[in-house]
Amino acid sequence: MTPAFRFGRRLGLGLLGEVAVVLTTLVVLFFLVYPTAWVLVASFKTPETMFAAGRWEFTLQNYVKLLDAGFGRNILNSLVLCIVSVAISTVLAVNAAYAFSRLRFRGKDALFSSVLFGQTFPWIILVTPVFILCARLGWLNSMASMIFVYVAVTLPFSIYLLVGYLRAVPESLDEAAIIDGATRFQIIWRIVFPIMLPGIVATATYAFLLCWSEYLFALALLTADEMKTMPLALYLYFGENVTEWGHVMAAAALTTLPTLLLFLPLQTRMVSGLAAGSVKQ
Amino acid sequence: MSAVAGERVHAPAPGRGRPAARVAERGFLWLALVPTFFFLVSFYLYPTLFNLETSLTDLSLFGLKRGGDWVGVDNYVELFRSGDFRRVLWNTIVWLTLAGVGVRIALGLALAFLLNSATLARWRLQTVSRVLLIVPWATPPVVAIIVWRWLLDPRVGSINSALISIGVVDQPIAFLSTAGWIWPALLTIITWNTLPLVALTFLASLQSLPDELVEAARIDGASRWQLVRYVYLPHLKPAIVVMILMSTFWTFNNFVYVWLTTGAGPGLYTNVMATEVYIQAFINGRFGYSSAAGVVMAAIMTVFGLVYLRVIARRELQEERS
Repeated sequence: MTPAFRFGRRLGLGLLGEVAVVLTTLVVLFFLVYPTAWVLVASFKTPETMFAAGRWEFTLQNYVKLLDAGFGRNILNSLVLCIVSVAISTVLAVNAAYAFSRLRFRGKDALFSSVLFGQTFPWIILVTPVFILCARLGWLNSMASMIFVYVAVTLPFSIYLLVGYLRAVPESLDEAAIIDGATRFQIIWRIVFPIMLPGIVATATYAFLLCWSEYLFALALLTADEMKTMPLALYLYFGENVTEWGHVMAAAALTTLPTLLLFLPLQTRMVSGLAAGSVKQ
Repeated sequence: MSAVAGERVHAPAPGRGRPAARVAERGFLWLALVPTFFFLVSFYLYPTLFNLETSLTDLSLFGLKRGGDWVGVDNYVELFRSGDFRRVLWNTIVWLTLAGVGVRIALGLALAFLLNSATLARWRLQTVSRVLLIVPWATPPVVAIIVWRWLLDPRVGSINSALISIGVVDQPIAFLSTAGWIWPALLTIITWNTLPLVALTFLASLQSLPDELVEAARIDGASRWQLVRYVYLPHLKPAIVVMILMSTFWTFNNFVYVWLTTGAGPGLYTNVMATEVYIQAFINGRFGYSSAAGVVMAAIMTVFGLVYLRVIARRELQEERS
């Protein structure tokens, strides 16, 4: 008699029940992983063998051709845009979150509520006015206006997440530093920052992912090909009359890889932070 | 609202030492909050008000520089008289939001219970299943949509070839262009991409349930159903409420899934509010009308936002007390 069988019996599950649970899990996991895994695998197959179940020809040509077609420019656009936006938004969010979490001031509740409200705001409503304003000011196809947009869309939930993490940092540390004559900025960057670095990293990562896959504002504000971000360029390869499957799969794999690599190590921390119920997709 | 950020930020923590320190404290508050509220006001508040104004004009794509003419509430009248808009509302509220959120919560709960089961721990599958669960979440929506459009394709898609080979159907089904199948297919894509967050949140909540509680209930002779009904679900309730609210926001406001999967079509069969706002502005060039649709959307979400604030505020208070 196997150990699993004995334990199972105690819980009222026979061996059959145990096997059923395991099989269900495997089927569910297959369903969850298959689409993404398929992209990664297909990006290394020749377009001729891509859709054939049994056949398999390894190639790097998809990537070579994709970069020849100018996708490098899109990668660069996405990287610069996301990194700069996240850096600005995280620095601002740390300061604001600290103020909300530690200081008392008039109107704090109303202000914090308006930050929370920003999270729930339908972006689609903002696209039309932001587009009109940018068009009038001649700010379409500009990295600066996209950075402005991405800082603004990531700020509210970054602040909310960081306020949550700050709660875990004992306030006695601040008090001691104040008595020693430290300013608030010194407290934030010398004392609080190192302690809550894991929380800040998680927040910044999530903000990065949000920017990385953002489509709507990029679609409205970036119309010139050389300004487009990776998701836009990717969909263009897909949407043209004759789909270049080699391009599509390589571009899709390159778009997915950074998010996969960032997500997996962060999974546990992410969940505990997000379980507080506070993110936007 | 946020416009008053500057005026209100002037009272530092009371009783914090010398006046000089108090001035420094006030200076900090300004420096810490003004940049943030600059972004919030100029990106959320001002465009929203601007949108409200635009919705009362006939601003068009060609008159962007010149501005539109004042038409009063004409756009709203047209909106509510339009049969198209009624279908848009129906699609958004019933299909996208009610069905979409319902499916996600139900499957999220089922998945959380499955991954929390003692069986998986015994078979050493717990860690690997949790890591793999992240994969759809880490897949950007654009990539998810492209893969699923291929999977659901009637000619080359593997779902159809799998269904044919096991003999469920004789003819391939064009999931994304057959009336009865479009919404289920769309919801499959959305659910696949967004389920992990919901499931992981429920899983985290389940794991915070003390074992003694379950053990005690079991000793008292509770059946499995009673355990779920009286022990697990009450414990999960706050997480369920928050997830229902959050997924409602995400789904109601989401543009990319419908737009890139069906382009709101065939025809306008799957048109939802977000795609309607986009189509009216960027395809038809009717910014005034699009803004009116946006205002209606904002009004619906504001009601929801108030509910959300109440729930979050209550939870924060509880946490502070405990």
